[in-house]
Amino acid sequence: MLRTSIAQGPAPTVYLAGEMDLDCADSLREAVTEAARGAQMVALDFAGVEFIDSSGTGIFVRLALDLKSQGTPLVARNLSPAVRGVFDMLRVRELVGDEVFPD
Amino acid sequence: MADQTSAAPASLQVYRYTAGADRVEAVIGTLEPELPQEDLVAHASEALERETFMCYAVSQPDDFVADELCFVPQGDTCDILSIRTNGWERHHGDHRRSLVEILNNLAAAVACGKLRILDPDQLASDVELGRTVVDFEMADTAELQRAREAVDDVLKQAGLDDINRQRTILCISEAVTNMLLHGGGHGRMTVRRLGDRLRFIVADQGPGLSFLNWIEPPSKGGQASMGYGYKIILDYLDAVALHTGPDGTTLLLDRLIN
Repeated sequence: MLRTSIAQGPAPTVYLAGEMDLDCADSLREAVTEAARGAQMVALDFAGVEFIDSSGTGIFVRLALDLKSQGTPLVARNLSPAVRGVFDMLRVRELVGDEVFPD
Repeated sequence: MADQTSAAPASLQVYRYTAGADRVEAVIGTLEPELPQEDLVAHASEALERETFMCYAVSQPDDFVADELCFVPQGDTCDILSIRTNGWERHHGDHRRSLVEILNNLAAAVACGKLRILDPDQLASDVELGRTVVDFEMADTAELQRAREAVDDVLKQAGLDDINRQRTILCISEAVTNMLLHGGGHGRMTVRRLGDRLRFIVADQGPGLSFLNWIEPPSKGGQASMGYGYKIILDYLDAVALHTGPDGTTLLLDRLIN
């Protein structure tokens, strides 16, 4: 189960905690959509993500591409080695662009 | 050639030739009646005789319903992987090209012995090996975390190191997610202990993998389907076996523990 909390502002951050799998699609999209309303950019903080698989990764990729096309860039921060390993394996950086990973 | 196949971005079929036979049989997919059996038998016989993996770019793709044919000798049988790309490789972007990569990864996994394609008889005997340590049914994505926790417990009891434990949990998550997405929405995960390994059996009674549904995102939630679950599974596990057909799909995922 994925839990989300939002720190509002012109560049809000969505803090993620728990597990990102197929089941997290709705909660993640809702949180990011809410944070992105009127924002110049949105940050996703992965520090609390304990697990991610290809479905969770796919949901993140789709969100990042959707926000980019809407003119609200998304950045991802504080990736754990486990999350980074899955993202590397699935070549996420090539799909969403280097700018999503400013760290 | 079936309309469904011709409209698909890419497809994989697997045939099997047994030494001495005069024709090949389908193990995944269907055998088109117009398929040039004699040519397939000749190449399969040659691969068996030379004990060598052989892969061809097909010059008459319509005749063979394939752009690429791989012949993989295994004892007295030869698996034939038939890959059709329908031209998508040339016309579409990275996301769609990746399907062809996935199919080629599967072919390579069979060629190097990492992936076994099981016929119904092999499946029936392989799922009976060892003793059951975990067994439960799944019908909802909300149960994915419970499945991972059950796998984690078994792996901890077996004394697996952290990295291999995390990788195994990831692989099982991929397999049960595929089962829920493409296997009719429900199925069963069983863990069996046999000899030097744990075997995770993920089985559904869905329509069978067509290898056609990996490219378009599933409608639920509109999320992207990475289609990479199989790559992760083949990269991280010690051995994988697959049976798929109209009676459902079963994956046997092995992790060595000693």
